[in-house]
Amino acid sequence: MTAMTTLPILDETSAPFWEAAREGRFLIQRCPETGLYQWYPRAHSIHAPHATPDWVEASGRGELLSYSVVHRGNSRGDPYTCALVRLEEGVTVFSRVEGIAEGDLRAGLLLAVAFHRLDETISLPIFRPPSLTGGSDA
Amino acid sequence: MKQLSGKTAIVGAYESPRRDAPRVHPFALQMECILGALDDAGLALSDVDGLCAASGDWAEGGGTMDVIELAEYIGIQPTYVNSTDVGGCSYILQAGQAAAAIAAGLAEVVVISYAACPRWWPLSTPSFDPFVFPAGPGQYEIPYAPTLISTYGLFARRHMDLYGTTPEQLAQVAVTFRGHAAANPQARLRKPITVDDVLASPMIASPLHRLDCCVVTDGGGALVMTSRERARDLKRRPVYLVGYGAAVARTQNSQIPDDLSTPAALSGPRAFAMAGMTPADIDVAQIYDAFTITPMLALEDLGFCGRGESGPFVAAGALSADGGSLPTNTDGGGLSSNHPGKRGIFTLIESVRQLRGDAPGVQVPDAKVALAHGLGGTFCSAATAILAV
Repeated sequence: MTAMTTLPILDETSAPFWEAAREGRFLIQRCPETGLYQWYPRAHSIHAPHATPDWVEASGRGELLSYSVVHRGNSRGDPYTCALVRLEEGVTVFSRVEGIAEGDLRAGLLLAVAFHRLDETISLPIFRPPSLTGGSDA
Repeated sequence: MKQLSGKTAIVGAYESPRRDAPRVHPFALQMECILGALDDAGLALSDVDGLCAASGDWAEGGGTMDVIELAEYIGIQPTYVNSTDVGGCSYILQAGQAAAAIAAGLAEVVVISYAACPRWWPLSTPSFDPFVFPAGPGQYEIPYAPTLISTYGLFARRHMDLYGTTPEQLAQVAVTFRGHAAANPQARLRKPITVDDVLASPMIASPLHRLDCCVVTDGGGALVMTSRERARDLKRRPVYLVGYGAAVARTQNSQIPDDLSTPAALSGPRAFAMAGMTPADIDVAQIYDAFTITPMLALEDLGFCGRGESGPFVAAGALSADGGSLPTNTDGGGLSSNHPGKRGIFTLIESVRQLRGDAPGVQVPDAKVALAHGLGGTFCSAATAILAV
């Protein structure tokens, strides 16, 4: 994949997310009081600010909400597709979409998470068509 | 906020004609602008007791305590300062807060100043992108290398999917503003363009082409504000601040609302309510145009057209000074005139010029009410001012 050289900096809140990603699981947070999901992960629930959110494993499936193919950006290398993906649980995540030609991209496409192992700590989730199974290198 | 309406005025305005300022430090350019605005007002540096600036971003010359650095450089010790940085619209927000400070007696003569020199700035920072830390919220986005333009691309693509907006409609924004720039001798790009030219220019981050993007220039500008009472005794016709609103919303791409509403939906109604006006009262508008999609979403949030209707609105020529219902970006805007990085101050300066009748290019005849609107980042913040004579 196109170079993604900036690695995330883990903290006490985010560590469980990245530990799960290393195992090929995509976690999101759920409010213990309202049952509502949230993304991105925080130390508090945005639905009940005094509550500490629980981690739950997402299905990893979602649909393409919007996308932009970066042809001439700040990063060197081939074009890549930045995307907003609406997960089945209802939250929207920002990621990349791979395995779909630019001309075939359209809103509503079904997607499934896959993971790129960047080093021994970080496996970065990206999204691909569900038919491209086994593509994860996590 | 109604009691603040009309209590203060912009009494001096200056835009540097420079578009390239090689090896000029941004503070030197700010000094040119500050003196220019004070000369315009008939005031001296010694009259200034308030200073507003947001000069701590890339190519702006300052650090985290930029307003102190700037005050020292220009040689004053202001007792009212504001260096709130909410991106490109910072100077509109600062104008609104300066109005409140002046009305409350915290300051008497406030200078709002901005300059940046991105064309030669030698110190490296990660990028133009405003959110660069892969820690905290950014750890879930920065590793994917989003660019500022690709985030605008996400907005534009979703607008097309939700509302049927077309690349041709987006392009019309650039075409209209270039038409205005053709009359502005200071504008960076003045050669007229067509919709086909925009669509044929290289794709930067889909669906935005090169000509959907603003120019990158050096540049700067400054404003002087004071009380309504003091304004009456000065050199130029006062331009009164009658409406103001601002809001901040989000930074991360994952937090973009489904319907693409932006904090302009908060800043706009507050500004109109303070002024006791509606969009129909606006004679001329200056709306931040970093990319063609940028003013389109603002037009919807500010109520100049309905949600999702900005495509047909701009395609029908509404923004044209040549017969449009809302002459907009009469100086050519960021798409054609200038864009050093945070061009919100120029929306105020061109509004002042339009209301005084001394615009450098296109002049809307007999304009009495102007709207200046800006955003910061990628629709992360918004500030709206309504000015009147």
